Amino acid sequence: MITYAVFFFFAAIAVIFALVVILHRNPVVGALSLVASFFALAVMYVLLEAPFLAALQVIVYAGAIMVLFLFVIMLLNLQRQPEEPTRPIQQFLGYVGSSAFGIGLVYYLSKYAVMELPSGPFLADARAIGVKLFEVYIFPFEAVSILLLAAIVGALVLSGRGVQTS
Amino acid sequence: MAGIDKVDVALSILKIAIVVGALLNVTPIMVWVERRGSALIQDRVGPNRVGPFGLFQSLADAAKFFLKEDIVPAGANKWLYSLAPMFGLIPALTTIAVVPWGRPFRLPSGRLFEPIVADLNVGILLIFALASLSVYGIVTAGWASNNKFSLFGGIRSSAQMISYELALTLSAISVLMAAGSLRLTDVVWKQTGYFVLFDKIKLPAWNVFSPSMWLAFIVFSVAAFAETNRLPFDFAEAEAELVAGYHTEYSSMKFALFFMSEYIAMATISALITTLFLGGWDIPWVNEPATFWGFLASAIVFTIKVSVLMFIFVWVRWTIPRLKYDILMRMGWKVFLPLAFVNILLVAWFIAERWI
Repeated sequence: MITYAVFFFFAAIAVIFALVVILHRNPVVGALSLVASFFALAVMYVLLEAPFLAALQVIVYAGAIMVLFLFVIMLLNLQRQPEEPTRPIQQFLGYVGSSAFGIGLVYYLSKYAVMELPSGPFLADARAIGVKLFEVYIFPFEAVSILLLAAIVGALVLSGRGVQTS
Repeated sequence: MAGIDKVDVALSILKIAIVVGALLNVTPIMVWVERRGSALIQDRVGPNRVGPFGLFQSLADAAKFFLKEDIVPAGANKWLYSLAPMFGLIPALTTIAVVPWGRPFRLPSGRLFEPIVADLNVGILLIFALASLSVYGIVTAGWASNNKFSLFGGIRSSAQMISYELALTLSAISVLMAAGSLRLTDVVWKQTGYFVLFDKIKLPAWNVFSPSMWLAFIVFSVAAFAETNRLPFDFAEAEAELVAGYHTEYSSMKFALFFMSEYIAMATISALITTLFLGGWDIPWVNEPATFWGFLASAIVFTIKVSVLMFIFVWVRWTIPRLKYDILMRMGWKVFLPLAFVNILLVAWFIAERWI
């Protein structure tokens, strides 16, 4: 019972703040709302008995990535964005496309999504995840790390272009 | 949620009351220690008029904060301006929940009393999660004030905290590797006992005395200063350059909340250093009995360790001048981060050789 109360409370928070992210004109408010939304999402992981994932969700997304976003927004001093003029056809396509995507998503989720937890002990602690990551999923894990390394090197090359090193 | 009865709920409320009560009292005491300590270091007298040794000065200050006018600048973002002090305070207050502060003992009814609010199996990760959120208080305050000095403070603070969070987390990882658990009670239990040197000298088995982890202790402690925005790393405030940094525009209780979160964060990180490296509640050379008195003695020893660390925070603040910003960043990325990695390799080697 209390689980449902907690779920609906934080689900409401997640959805409301996600809406604020896309509807609010101020980028800083948007970034902070996204943090709140991520935090509410972490509560979902706790309810699913995966506190490890919940902690990682907060550390990586709310704690690290969004701080960087906020840093960049503040450094560039982005202010209230003026609404850009849009053509009617753009608005029409936007509304139709996004509602079609939304309806499709709800349809497929209601049809194929797993609605109950797998039976038996559900292990999502650090050890279980580590073993899975380094045994079963070792190839995707390494592939992602190479991808990230390439991204770092690319960012360094791009930002260093045109700078005279002394 | 099976197996929770009224006694458990009552015990939890008691533990929360103890911890929050202790943390809220940290601020007035530490303000007094800071002012008298700085006076001692600078060969002054310091506040000594209100009460014995000026001990009630903090109460007078608190009353003053309540009576001050609460000003919101005209150009500020009102919502975020008011929320920012709370963003700072909440992570500082909640982090302590997973830190054990005494030896567990059995109540007369046979129930085990664990002196920790929430013994999670991801305890240390929760601490890092909440610590990584503590930056939002300062950043939001800096931005919402609509003041260029505040904004600079906020930007500097976010860059600094991201940089030092890496060193902080990585140096803690070596401790967790040695303990084989993310649960902080396990980390403390691992540190009860002795190292025996030359068959004669018995050292407490604290991680700071371990040949594989003293390096992590140094990195963690330095990063702790950066994470709490204390001198020599207080670039968010930097009163010589930025007026008062992120809280330039704040007054009254909102300013007091920033003050509180600074000292509470200091207490939390001291408790964390104690737990990870200084044996937590372990009393050196004593085998604590699993009774109420054993619990009380260990809780007092824990408090003493935390108090000593907090005094060191004050001591360092009034002794070491503020670094230059580029030196801060260079040190974070080029000295402390590699040192933390080296320490992880060292611990991994020790584990592979089965020395720990």
